Amino acid sequence: MSQIIVITSGKGGVGKTTTTANIGVGLAMRGNKVALIDTDTGLRNLDLLLGLENRIMYDLIDVTSGRVPYNKALVRHKKHDSLYLLPTSQVKDKSAVNPDDLIKLCDDMKKDFDFIIIDCPAGIEQGFKTAIAAADMAIVVTMPEISAVRDADKIIGELGRADKENVKLIVNRIRPQMVEKGDMLDMEDINEILSIDCIGQVPDDEAVVMATNRGEPVIAMKDSIAGKAYLNIVGRLCGESIPFFKPPKEGFFAKLKRLFSMLF
Amino acid sequence: MSEVVKIKGLKTGLQLSFAKGASFEDIQADLQNKLESGDKFFIRGTTVFVQKGYFSEERNEKLRRMFHRHGMLFSDELKNPAMLPISKIPKRETQSQTQKTLIVNKTVRGGQEIRAEGSVMIFGNVNPGAQVIAGGNIDIRGTCRGSVHAGAFGDTTACVVADRLMPMQIQIADILARSPDDLEMPDHAEKASIKDGRIVIDAVSR
Repeated sequence: MSQIIVITSGKGGVGKTTTTANIGVGLAMRGNKVALIDTDTGLRNLDLLLGLENRIMYDLIDVTSGRVPYNKALVRHKKHDSLYLLPTSQVKDKSAVNPDDLIKLCDDMKKDFDFIIIDCPAGIEQGFKTAIAAADMAIVVTMPEISAVRDADKIIGELGRADKENVKLIVNRIRPQMVEKGDMLDMEDINEILSIDCIGQVPDDEAVVMATNRGEPVIAMKDSIAGKAYLNIVGRLCGESIPFFKPPKEGFFAKLKRLFSMLF
Repeated sequence: MSEVVKIKGLKTGLQLSFAKGASFEDIQADLQNKLESGDKFFIRGTTVFVQKGYFSEERNEKLRRMFHRHGMLFSDELKNPAMLPISKIPKRETQSQTQKTLIVNKTVRGGQEIRAEGSVMIFGNVNPGAQVIAGGNIDIRGTCRGSVHAGAFGDTTACVVADRLMPMQIQIADILARSPDDLEMPDHAEKASIKDGRIVIDAVSR
C-alpha cells in the first residue's frame, strides 16, 4: 500500500522543502522506496537540498505534458538507492501543471513506490491546489511564530475544504531557551489554536543550514538534534509511538562558556 | 431618525417592513444608504420581499431597479419557499429544518465564515481571522478568538456567549467593540450584550 503525502504550510520559509528532503531520506534509510515530487515550479529548491542539481535531465512539466515517461525524469539519490526525485522546471510557472495531471501521475507512480512525498509551494493559489490534489495525507509545517501559526490554521481550513481530513502537524525551528523564557509560543499555545495531531517538534539547529548548503539532509548527521527530531518524525510516520524528546536544558558549563565568549 | 426600514431574514431571502408614516422618499434613501454601506446581508442573488400592495406598481418598479443595480431580486409577493427555484435560495451551512439554530460541529479556522439568519451554536473554537455572523445569538462552546457579529439584522437584545471570550472584534446589532490589546485568557464563560448603548461583558455560569 503506497502512501501519498503532501508537505505544506501556507507561509514561506518555515521549512517545507527541508522537511520533505529529511522525511524522504529518513524513509529511504528504512528501506522504503520513496519518490519526492517538487511542485514549486519556478522556484525549485528540493534538488539543491539533496545535492542533485547537476543530474537533472527532464522535469515534472516534461512528464505531465507527455514528452517523456516519468521514470526518465526521476533522479536517483547518490547515497540512498531507494530515493528518487522528480524535479520541477525552473523556467515555467505554476500554471504549467494542473491538479488532474498530478493525480494521474501519482496514480501511475503508486505501483512503483511505497511513499510519494509532494513538496508544496507557499501560498494558497493554484500551485497549492495542484500539490494537494493527489495526497491522501497532509503534513502542515509551521513555526512557533504568530504569523506562521495563523497561516497554518488557514491551510488546515483549506485542506478541510478539499476533503483532506488526515492532517498532521510539524512545528519547526523551536528555540527552547526562548520558549522557556516565554518569548516564543510554546507547543501548548500552538496545539490550542490548531488542534490537530502533532508528529514532530524540530528544534532550531545550525546543522540544518550547514546540511542545506552541503546538499545532505540533516537527518543523516547523527549528532545533530534536528536530525534526531526528523528521525523521530519518520518513526512516527511508520506507526511507531515515540515520545517527544525534551531538548536538554543549557548546562552549567555551556552557560559558563557562553558567559566567557560574551566577555572576551 | 430611528430605523425607517426594518429587515427580517427569511429562508428564501429578506423581508422588508417600514416604519409607520415614513415617506417613500425616506424609504428609498434609507435603502440606498444600506445598500451602499455594503451591509453583510445584501448578498448578490438574494431575493428581497415587500408586502403585496404596500406600494403602487410604479414605486415597486423603482425599488426593483434599485435592487437590480446591486444584483438582487425584488418581489412583492411572498411565495411558498418550495416554489422558488433552488438557485435563488441563498445557500447556507447544513441547517436542521426544525430548529432555527445553526449547529457547527468543528473548529472555525482563519478565513472561514459562518453566516446564519437565526442563532448559531459552535462546538469548537473560533480561531483568529474567522468570522461568525448571525441574525440571532452566538454561543461558542470553546475559545472565541475571531470576529463575531450577533443580531446582524439589528436585534439589540442579541448576545454572544463563549467559554473563553477573547474575540478580535465583537459586534451586536450596529454597535462594535474591539478587544483590549493586552487581553488575558479568561478562566470562565462570559457573555457580551448591549447595556445602555455599549457592549458589556459579564461572567455567566453554565
